[in-house]
Amino acid sequence: MQFAIELTNVQAEMDGEEWHVDFTLAVKPGEFVLLVGPGRSGKGMLLKLCVGLVEPAQGTVRVLDHDLATLDDEGLSELRQRIGVVLPQPGLRSNMTLYTNVCLPLVYHQGIDEEDLRPRVMPVLEALGLAPLQKRFPAQLTAGEARCAALARALVMDQQLLLLDEVMAGLDAEMVARVDRVLTAYRRAHPVTILATLHNPSPLLEHADRIAFIRQGRIEAMGPYADMAKTSDTALQVYLGSGLGGGLGSRLAS
Amino acid sequence: MIGWLGQRTIDGYLYLTDLSAHVYVTLRELISPGRQGRWAALRVTLRQMLFTGVDALPVISAIALMLGLIVITQAGTQLPKVGGEGLIGSIIVVVIIRELGPLLTAFIVIGRSGTAITTELGNMRVAQEITALELIGIRVSRYIIMPRVVAVVLSMVCLMFYFDAVAVLGGFIIARIKLTIPFHVFAQAVAQSLSLVDVLVTAAKGMLFGTAVAVICCHHGLLVRSSYTEVPQQTTTAMINSVTICLVLDILVTVTAYF
Repeated sequence: MQFAIELTNVQAEMDGEEWHVDFTLAVKPGEFVLLVGPGRSGKGMLLKLCVGLVEPAQGTVRVLDHDLATLDDEGLSELRQRIGVVLPQPGLRSNMTLYTNVCLPLVYHQGIDEEDLRPRVMPVLEALGLAPLQKRFPAQLTAGEARCAALARALVMDQQLLLLDEVMAGLDAEMVARVDRVLTAYRRAHPVTILATLHNPSPLLEHADRIAFIRQGRIEAMGPYADMAKTSDTALQVYLGSGLGGGLGSRLAS
Repeated sequence: MIGWLGQRTIDGYLYLTDLSAHVYVTLRELISPGRQGRWAALRVTLRQMLFTGVDALPVISAIALMLGLIVITQAGTQLPKVGGEGLIGSIIVVVIIRELGPLLTAFIVIGRSGTAITTELGNMRVAQEITALELIGIRVSRYIIMPRVVAVVLSMVCLMFYFDAVAVLGGFIIARIKLTIPFHVFAQAVAQSLSLVDVLVTAAKGMLFGTAVAVICCHHGLLVRSSYTEVPQQTTTAMINSVTICLVLDILVTVTAYF
């Protein structure tokens, strides 16, 4: 597999906007690519295109060696079992506890027994600081905790590809640090490709292999963080946290 | 006027096509060889049967008793006046077992479970739970629709027979205070009037009504898009359409079986 994700001249309508998205992007297996840019710029749309939630009007989307246009419902469901997705709205089942929500993909797809579930799920919950909340229902969680639970649900299946849409939004400083640690450790342990979006500076920026700046449905700049941080584009500087004086690390620390 | 009529016909045709697609998908999921998610779907089915079937027993019992009391009291007091004591069995079989029993059971299931299904699925849609399920590779047809259709069909069939039994036997016991007909005469009259066709037709109605109610209510729940205010609107539409389609199916089955 040459690319984990390959979008070629992909065009799609953007709800409520006069412009449409137009993406060409290739992400290698094991690569970590961050999409930054303003809200409603098409970052979330790009992730939805990659997971088949939105069909492109034009162009081809290949994910994990599959052309999404050629997949039927069953094929798409099978492919999605290899992709972990976190959307801005976590979509946890409201009648299940946090623990059963995280276990759901394992129980459904692999039929794993309760005794085998705990050793697989608890380390993820503990790493994300969710273990004390495992018996709570989604309505009893904060937005950040619910998003972390959705991330835990995406991580327990050992997927080959993670698509994380604004995974850091609504998290407190401790949670941000925990998610950063968990994703770094996960990348070290698994050969996973990550495509994530951000609309605020975050420690993830420095861990990404490449950063793509998206504006009005187009990738305007792309490269490693060190190169991107040198940009003179003030709009991009804001999203990289380099336009406010000082380095990203010092500002985040402060 | 002709344009409006044409549009309504096209809408109705598309609506029935959508419902038929849900029925097809449910049947395909039931017989498909894939074992993935079978246990999870079975758990959803059992939970839905508990709610639709077992939890409905008290209200079904109360309504069946009241209906039985009314029909048996009327038949038992009015028929002797015109020398029609011999018709009491036929009246009870025709009124309760063939028609009112299945229809009232369907209406109770629509009011209790059908509305609950539409509301639940509508809320799940708005909260993006359905999208999240699809994104973790869980097919909505297997995990959401098929278990509910199976559970409602099985519950509906069982509840119809239960309703008939409670209405006829319980209704008689209560009406006994006023009636002079001995139980064995009453039971014999009902047994003689009841045929195998009546039992089979009741089972057929249970399956048809159950499928219609579950599919319509799931369909309208999944039609909700982005706002919680759509949920009660879709629930009302699901309820009205379920009642209408159950009545149409009842007419079709009755005409086919007894005409």
